[in-house]
Amino acid sequence: MTDQNDDRNDKKSTQAGISRRDFLKAGTTTAVVAGTAPMFFVRGAWAEKHMEPIGNFPVKGKTVTFGFNVPQTGAYADEGADELRAYKLAVKHLNGGGGMLETLAPSSLTGQGVLGKKVDYVTGDTQTNPDAARTSARRMVERDGVIMYSGGSSSATAIAQQYLAQEMGIIFMCGLTHSNDTTGKDKRRYGFRHFFNAYMSGKALGPVLAGTYGEDRRAFHLTADYTWGHTQYDSIKQFTEAEGWTTVNNIMTPLGTTDYSQFLTAFLNSDADVLVLNHYGKDMVNSLTQAVQFGVRDMQKNGKDVQVVVPLYSRLMAQGAGAANIDGVFGSTNWNWTLQDPGSQAFVKSFEDEYGFPPSQAAQTCYVQTLLYANACERAGTFYPPEVIKALEDFKFTGAGPGEAIYRGADHQCFKDILVVQGKGPDEKQGEYDLLKIHQQVKRDDVMYPVDTFPGELGPYKPA
Amino acid sequence: MSTEYRPHSWPREGIVLGVFAVVVFAMPWWLTWIGGYEALATKIVIWAIFALGFDILLGFTGYLSFGHAAFFGTSGYVAGLMFLHYSESIIPALLACLVVSIVLALVLGFLTLRRTGIYFAILTLAFAQMLHAAALSIFQEWTGGDNGLTMSAQPNLFGLPMDGLNVFYLAAVLVVIGFAMARQIRRSPLGLMLRSIKENQMRLEYTGVNVMAYKMTAYLISAIYAGTAGWLMVVYEPYVATKFLHWSTSGEVVIMSVIGGVNTLIGPMIGAAFMMYFENVVQSEIGELWKLVLGAIFVLIVIFLPGGFVDGYNRVRKVLGQKVPSRRHNVPDSPESMRKLRERGRTAEAGRTD
Repeated sequence: MTDQNDDRNDKKSTQAGISRRDFLKAGTTTAVVAGTAPMFFVRGAWAEKHMEPIGNFPVKGKTVTFGFNVPQTGAYADEGADELRAYKLAVKHLNGGGGMLETLAPSSLTGQGVLGKKVDYVTGDTQTNPDAARTSARRMVERDGVIMYSGGSSSATAIAQQYLAQEMGIIFMCGLTHSNDTTGKDKRRYGFRHFFNAYMSGKALGPVLAGTYGEDRRAFHLTADYTWGHTQYDSIKQFTEAEGWTTVNNIMTPLGTTDYSQFLTAFLNSDADVLVLNHYGKDMVNSLTQAVQFGVRDMQKNGKDVQVVVPLYSRLMAQGAGAANIDGVFGSTNWNWTLQDPGSQAFVKSFEDEYGFPPSQAAQTCYVQTLLYANACERAGTFYPPEVIKALEDFKFTGAGPGEAIYRGADHQCFKDILVVQGKGPDEKQGEYDLLKIHQQVKRDDVMYPVDTFPGELGPYKPA
Repeated sequence: MSTEYRPHSWPREGIVLGVFAVVVFAMPWWLTWIGGYEALATKIVIWAIFALGFDILLGFTGYLSFGHAAFFGTSGYVAGLMFLHYSESIIPALLACLVVSIVLALVLGFLTLRRTGIYFAILTLAFAQMLHAAALSIFQEWTGGDNGLTMSAQPNLFGLPMDGLNVFYLAAVLVVIGFAMARQIRRSPLGLMLRSIKENQMRLEYTGVNVMAYKMTAYLISAIYAGTAGWLMVVYEPYVATKFLHWSTSGEVVIMSVIGGVNTLIGPMIGAAFMMYFENVVQSEIGELWKLVLGAIFVLIVIFLPGGFVDGYNRVRKVLGQKVPSRRHNVPDSPESMRKLRERGRTAEAGRTD
């Protein structure tokens, strides 16, 4: 980092003449010295004027703007709507206190904006589509002057936006994205992911599945044919095989398939006794419902009961599939609203007060991401992106969910306790939103993996 | 623009192109007054090039291609791969894009142009979707699959970094050249042939014209425009989305042409500007309802203004009592011009009897 700084300064000093930027800087310095001497005593102000502009830094005026780029139309629109609710709540808490502001530790958040500026926000529609997501993010950056943007629900859009973030020098706090690539081969210095990934799902699920269903199972996968599906298939295969399972076959199903009967027939004709559905959202609702209609869950094969596994679970999906269909089905999730730690409770309570129903895991990750960014700015004492990034890297915190969490600096992946859950049957559930039973809270250290598990480079602190 | 044959006048052409160039080059300024921003101006101009080329095919020959994304997207991938693996200079990438677009157009044109109407539309759609599926499956290693082709490249023109306004000016220069060329084609004997294809292809064939060659020429020209737009898109943002190859991209350019006004050249470009503005500016104002509102606007335009925005403009002029040119250029179909034509014919006949 310091090397890069020096390089840059060397280059600058060797250039003859005064560039426009130097001229402006000199002008600003004079103005600052002449007119606003008291500014020197405001924390951060002195340091900020020595920092070169990056992206939309320095922030001018009395407000600072965040961009929330979520799917408002397309396949993941339901999740996008819940994410947006969480973002609005986060802004409300940043400006007025409440929610996790009382539980997050260490926290420098005051509940009176960030660095003395009131937080404002703009929203955009990613249309669940990487190209539209980038266009929308660009509008936020160029027209609305956002200092940070956030959003998610598809790994493809998250990765595309992460590259844009690096290009423009604007920090991107990923929303829901579960592909290994986001903090693996496509990791970027300006992108941060709080959500867990497919590798952690596999690591958590493998032992539980083998423990419950036995070690001599034969698995058949149906996988959504895009990067998230691919990495999840790889990870689940790796960790179940490590427990002694055999992977019989894998069929890639096109994203947005509505009729899974031909794939399910292939499963029935095989000698596999576990069906793994690497599907998400509407795909999972359709494939699981149809599997149940085929009688898969009442069947016996190889002398064992046939089982269905959905590695990435969400409460919204469980709701779509219905309690009868998800009864007892294993999966993993980042967070659930029934968690009893103070951070989760504070968030759930304020969310329910605001909207009348509990938040989804997508909402939780987006809410936490917004707070973590704001907190990093307060701790760094500036919005200057390289300093904010350094404040987030290797940041350890509690009070945003169960246990202590750490944002690993080497790949910008957050590690924390995750949940192995089981669907609740119609008799077991208490209320409309009580659909997932926490089978096991898997400890952070049990799902952690070495940085070099995946290739990829973060890139520089300052955009080229 | 007149309803009858008129010798081409250079001063008039100069005024038209001059006004067009001023409007385009001033876009980054006037667009910000109505809630736009710099990058949106660039995107509008890029789509305008795409729509302009599309109008040369649809507007002139009447061939509705529903697979023009094939050229836009393929060219995007070629540009991206050139930046990634060969050079970040934009010129070699442009040359590669042009070569690939031309070869692809020759192949696809050979396979699809033998059919007309709905069959042609379906065939082009099928081939474009095949390319889309290929990009997601067998070429996944090269195209990045559903993630799109991501890179941290900085395209440059002889060392000048191509970002921000630089890309805009490049695109603006190209759209003005493209517009001038399209107008020239419309006036030329080639343009007349293309419009004759639209009027009555079989009759043209009976007169001994090699219709296939003319159709192929139109198809090639429009593929070159689309390829250039695809290349510019990646220069503007070093990222290639699979959506560039998707049928919805083909659909978008069809919609732009229809709401702007087919066969007017300027219409599809206005359509492009409208769509981009709506998708990026109005969207942020009205939130999740934006697609519904956009759909309603399409329906209204198709029902009440079948000739698009240009039609609307002409209707307003008619109401104001101005003379309005015919929708079909150089085709004498107004009673006035038909009378003149008959007179001219009579004089000619009278001359022959001598």
